[in-house]
Amino acid sequence: MLGTDAYRSGPSPHWERFLVVGAAVAVWSSILVARLVYLQVLAHHECARLVHSQSIEYFEVPGLRGEIYDRTGRPLALSIPSETVYVDPRHLPSLDEAVTVLATHLKLDPETLRQRLQRARSVRAGYLRIKRRITAEEAQALRRVNQRSKFPWIHFEPDLIRVYPSGATAAHVVGTVNDQNQGDSGIELALDQELSGRPGERSVLRDARGQTLEVLELSHPVRGQDIGLTIDARIQQVAHEALKRAAEQWQCQRGSVVVMDVASGDVLALASYPEFDPNRRPFPASELHRRENNAVAAPFEPGSVFKVVTIAAALDQGVVSPETPIDCHGGVLVLRGRRIHDVHAYGQLTVENVLAKSSNIGAIQVAMRLTEPKLYEYVVRFGFGRRTRIGLPAESPGRVYPLERWGATSFASVAMGHEVMATTLQLAVAVATVANDGIRPVPRLVLWRGMREGRREQVPILEGPRVIRAETAITMRRMMEQVVLRGTGQAARLMGYTAAGKTGSAQIYDPGARRYTHRYNASFVGFAPVIRPRIVVAVTLNGAPRYGGVVAAPVFREVAQAALQILGVPPDVPVESPPQPPPEQELNDVALASVARPPMDSPSQEPEQAESVAWFGPRTPSFVGQHLRAALAECTRLGVEVELRGYGRVRAQSPEAGAPLLPGTRVRLECSP
Amino acid sequence: MAQARSLRDLDWVLTGLALGLALCGVWHIATATEGTQWASAWWRQGLWVGAGLMGMLLVARVDYHRWVDQAWAWYLLSLVGLALVLVVGREAYGARRWIPLGGGVHLQVAEFTKLAIIVVVARYLAELRTPCAQAIDVAKLGFIVGIPAALVIAEPDLGTAITYGSIPLAALFVARLPARYWVILGVAGLLVLPASWWMLRDYQKQRIYAFLNPSRDPLGSGYQVIQSRIAVGSGGLFGAETSQGSQARLQFLPVPHTDFIFAAYAEQRGFVGVVLALAAYLLLLLRIFENAQRAPDRAGMYLCVGVGVLLLCHIVINVGMVVGRMPVTGLPLPLMSYGGSSALCVFLMLGLVNSVRLQTFVNT
Repeated sequence: MLGTDAYRSGPSPHWERFLVVGAAVAVWSSILVARLVYLQVLAHHECARLVHSQSIEYFEVPGLRGEIYDRTGRPLALSIPSETVYVDPRHLPSLDEAVTVLATHLKLDPETLRQRLQRARSVRAGYLRIKRRITAEEAQALRRVNQRSKFPWIHFEPDLIRVYPSGATAAHVVGTVNDQNQGDSGIELALDQELSGRPGERSVLRDARGQTLEVLELSHPVRGQDIGLTIDARIQQVAHEALKRAAEQWQCQRGSVVVMDVASGDVLALASYPEFDPNRRPFPASELHRRENNAVAAPFEPGSVFKVVTIAAALDQGVVSPETPIDCHGGVLVLRGRRIHDVHAYGQLTVENVLAKSSNIGAIQVAMRLTEPKLYEYVVRFGFGRRTRIGLPAESPGRVYPLERWGATSFASVAMGHEVMATTLQLAVAVATVANDGIRPVPRLVLWRGMREGRREQVPILEGPRVIRAETAITMRRMMEQVVLRGTGQAARLMGYTAAGKTGSAQIYDPGARRYTHRYNASFVGFAPVIRPRIVVAVTLNGAPRYGGVVAAPVFREVAQAALQILGVPPDVPVESPPQPPPEQELNDVALASVARPPMDSPSQEPEQAESVAWFGPRTPSFVGQHLRAALAECTRLGVEVELRGYGRVRAQSPEAGAPLLPGTRVRLECSP
Repeated sequence: MAQARSLRDLDWVLTGLALGLALCGVWHIATATEGTQWASAWWRQGLWVGAGLMGMLLVARVDYHRWVDQAWAWYLLSLVGLALVLVVGREAYGARRWIPLGGGVHLQVAEFTKLAIIVVVARYLAELRTPCAQAIDVAKLGFIVGIPAALVIAEPDLGTAITYGSIPLAALFVARLPARYWVILGVAGLLVLPASWWMLRDYQKQRIYAFLNPSRDPLGSGYQVIQSRIAVGSGGLFGAETSQGSQARLQFLPVPHTDFIFAAYAEQRGFVGVVLALAAYLLLLLRIFENAQRAPDRAGMYLCVGVGVLLLCHIVINVGMVVGRMPVTGLPLPLMSYGGSSALCVFLMLGLVNSVRLQTFVNT
């Protein structure tokens, strides 16, 4: 062999030195093993979690929100499955391509989109929502592109669209949902839990490039309960339109109509003006007041409508009969230093005529026979000053001063509907009590709840308390018919049906000018038919330039007429041509300004405290810009109820800053972070 | 002299361990790349392992003295090869390391250069007539290894250059280079080290930053470090149950079949598997050094030492990198990482070791 011997020389190996190498290897090995023990044993769970968290994303699959129907099965709120598009900005191949694809197929502004994507990329966000609730066409178009070009960065997640087929008609009752599909007003808010259902969970396994490898349904979404309302969409529509027409004709700021089934307390229609479109989102903060349900959330001084309570109480207590003559002092009464006027000077009127002609002095005389505690007792028993528990959010209890806070002439004011505040719904309930033989019905808005097919849980009719004796109720009905036949409510006469009711025209107090204006809370509350009443209709138009008999009674006629026909109530009188409305003068039932004290003059208040401002009650402070907590503290201090939306800072409020803070009103605060 | 070289006398423990590790590598290349663009890597690697095995047997049957005699020729050949890489090399991952041979096969000359360096160092030291290596030998060896190392650094491939350096150092260590020289070498190293920072390329600096603090740029330079660490950790004691959601399969672990195969392996086999693999490597190395001690002459001994130290160097650096105890260097894990040139070379080196072993049975 070549050179074999040559390689036999050289330095003899020094194997002992290899111990050093061995030691070095041993040290290094222990470092590695220690590291491995740390990673694979001690930090294992953390590492496993990281593997999991960077490859698996969890999504909530919203449970289909329950739907809302009217009593005849017409849909009022529907849920339509939709999708939301989002991208993983980390996996965008190129910004230009992404902007082009997304802007084209989702009809978005390319510049805004580019900016959003850039910002998301710069902070290395892994999720950027591009467009919520895309249409089926958009989804289809985008999916097609996605399939063709294999964009692993476009993702879809399930979402829902809430649709209100009846639009503005029933918007105040049905309510609305917010961006997260949570109820934020009306029944949507009140029954949010039932409607919501439970979201399911879905896991998506993605590789490092964003490609979806596997989708697992971890739990299935549970559909929310459907809700059936007592509302009849047809009656609701009539009520909504009649109210809107009247309010616009008379240039009223607000208005509301309640139609109730007398026996069951079912609310057949509940309309509020001004209206809003629940399908429009987001709703502009400047129009927040439109979302107020004025039938339940906006109490007002009812005026003469309240004489029903006064006279029913007196009859029930037996202190007067319909024929009892009442001295009306020729139109002027001086009561404990206050002058009280009637529109028309009456000498003597029977109690029946006091109601029909809506004599203030007469009503006061009746109340005097009744005594203050009894009047108070009946006011409360008729349901005033407390919420009706109709189950709508933001319901106002109205305001009835406790007896000990009544001033010297308070009973006179209350007797004709001042110094009390009531909602249209409360008025409807009070008159329904008369129509229902003296038993106060409990308004029912929800008819049933349940799952889709069959299996509906009916909501029971609640028995209300007896307020007046049945005989009193029957007498009252006959007397209230006279209001329509020959009194202030003649514009309420129906075709083919007898009707009864009471008008009301409470002058609106102008806190700025410190006097009553010539604008009225014009109302009419009535029922039909008279003998066997089926429905109660309460109409209020706030800020009307004319009296209840002129402004509100025609709305009653229109709504009641339609409702009775829709419900198939047989006519109880021959159909005749509509009667000629009497001259407006006769319909005047104004409780004159000099009678009542300013409505919100708390009896305990000292005059000096209020001298600097014309309105001596509290004013609504400005909450806008304040932090929510500060605003809430302020409201607590003022003793005002608050209705909240969102959190963070107050963005909008209703009523506006500086507006008189009427007791019983709610302050609505719209917040955003 | 009798020629009694029989394959029966092959180092079967060594061969068995090497083959076992290589097949383990093929297996984990397969599982780590399933469903990815590298799905064909495992059977290619299988072919390379087969070829390597053949090459090993061929080299083992040849008397290693032939290689030592031809050492300078091989050395010059590899220098030419390395120069050629810089001229016609194919660029990939930002480095020029491969010469395309056609048929999708790319030759990584730097790998084969290791063989040449091992042989040339063995030849040089075996020819020394002094009882200990001297300063002049350090200088000469430094020059001999420095040329190919410089060429490799130019590719750039710093990791491989470092492994080149380990061969003469280990050989000098065994060759009784006096302690004072080690002190001088150590001091010189410490002085050069900070200076060499300026020599580093940007990406190399980034890797060192990332090693020191991976969370500095978790999606950039620190990405591999972090993902590798997570992969190893998620393996736990006995390995992740499913490969479906593994770091490798989801491609969070970049190039899981080459430099980071050990991370993929650690994820799937867990701590127990890792310890077994490391034990196998240790046994393999011990076997190589045992063969060095039994070598019939100095040349054989230096060959075995060179092979052993080179493999040790690779294993130490690669595993250190995978568990986050070393900066990322593009060094493969011998026998397990995907890479034809690397697999072939390792088996050829083991062939050298076997050749030395077979020569001990020859009666001269």
